[in-house]
Amino acid sequence: MRIIVKAFATLREIFGGTGILYLELPEGSTIKDLLEKLREQYGSNLDVSGFVDENPSVKILVNGREITYLDGLGTRLRDGDSIAFIPPVAGG
Amino acid sequence: MVTRSPLYHRSQVDKLSLEELERYDRQLRLLGFDVESQLKLKRSRVLIVGVGGLGSAAALYLASAGIGFLRIIDDGYVELSNLNRQILYNTGDLGRRKVEVAAKRLRELNPEIEVEALGERLTEENVKQILSDVDLAVDCLDNFRARFILNDACVELGKPLIHGAIYGAEGRLMTIIPGRGPCLRCLIPREPAEHDKIPVLGPLPGVIGALEALEAIKVITGLGEPAVGKLIIIDGMDLSFYRIEVRRNPGCPACGKIKIEGI
Repeated sequence: MRIIVKAFATLREIFGGTGILYLELPEGSTIKDLLEKLREQYGSNLDVSGFVDENPSVKILVNGREITYLDGLGTRLRDGDSIAFIPPVAGG
Repeated sequence: MVTRSPLYHRSQVDKLSLEELERYDRQLRLLGFDVESQLKLKRSRVLIVGVGGLGSAAALYLASAGIGFLRIIDDGYVELSNLNRQILYNTGDLGRRKVEVAAKRLRELNPEIEVEALGERLTEENVKQILSDVDLAVDCLDNFRARFILNDACVELGKPLIHGAIYGAEGRLMTIIPGRGPCLRCLIPREPAEHDKIPVLGPLPGVIGALEALEAIKVITGLGEPAVGKLIIIDGMDLSFYRIEVRRNPGCPACGKIKIEGI
């Protein structure tokens, strides 16, 4: 299945370009699987940005709904899903 | 430093002059907004923490809306690299203390109001005193550390806080009413790393600062529905808007012990 990942703020810079990734994942993949795949690809840069598993300060949305109100990191993804990673920002 | 303009009449907080009725004519025409709403703004005391990109927009709109007393605090001086977004300042202001330039500009914009300028940094030591005699605070800061100091004091003193922040072409907004909804530590439980000299497209702090002013006006007058427990996220790159629910964290070190207001 194919999903769209949209990164915000500091994460956008780590993913590069527009911060939008199109990824192929096996059927039945979860948010946790997606995080592992991203970590393989972007390595420690993700951790530097504070983007680590279960960091409650980074909001993860699936089709606009936060995963806290779905099944958390176990939320199953479907073909065409749009996932947003939204870290906190402090500029003013 | 408090300077009162000749037009300022603090004693007349129970009525509006003919000039005020004309100055605020367009907002007085708004459905649900009447003379009593305007008097609530006139009697209100608001703290704006930071007069950079967010604070420029928020302060200009709050001054023009007729907030009776504005206290602005910032220890910065106007720099050339501020001017892509900090619309309170002109090129001729380079090197001058921001709060002094800002206070002058705000008094010129609206001589009916009182503006107090504090050229210092908000710290754990001074925050409670600075907050003690205001009704509401507007977070126009540029770092997490000071935001948490402000949040914790607002929660402790029960003062509403309008949170705004930006990065690049993105903005965030949430209205915090202690006891009624989540606070900044519920939203951001783990303190993130600080970033110096972040990228900013000028209109973004303008948009978020203006929305912070709007939220402050709503909280003070009771108009509409403030974004309590709702994080607003704006991505200027594709103009997408998100509104996500944020819940109180029962274990929050700042607001976890406050009782929930009966709803």
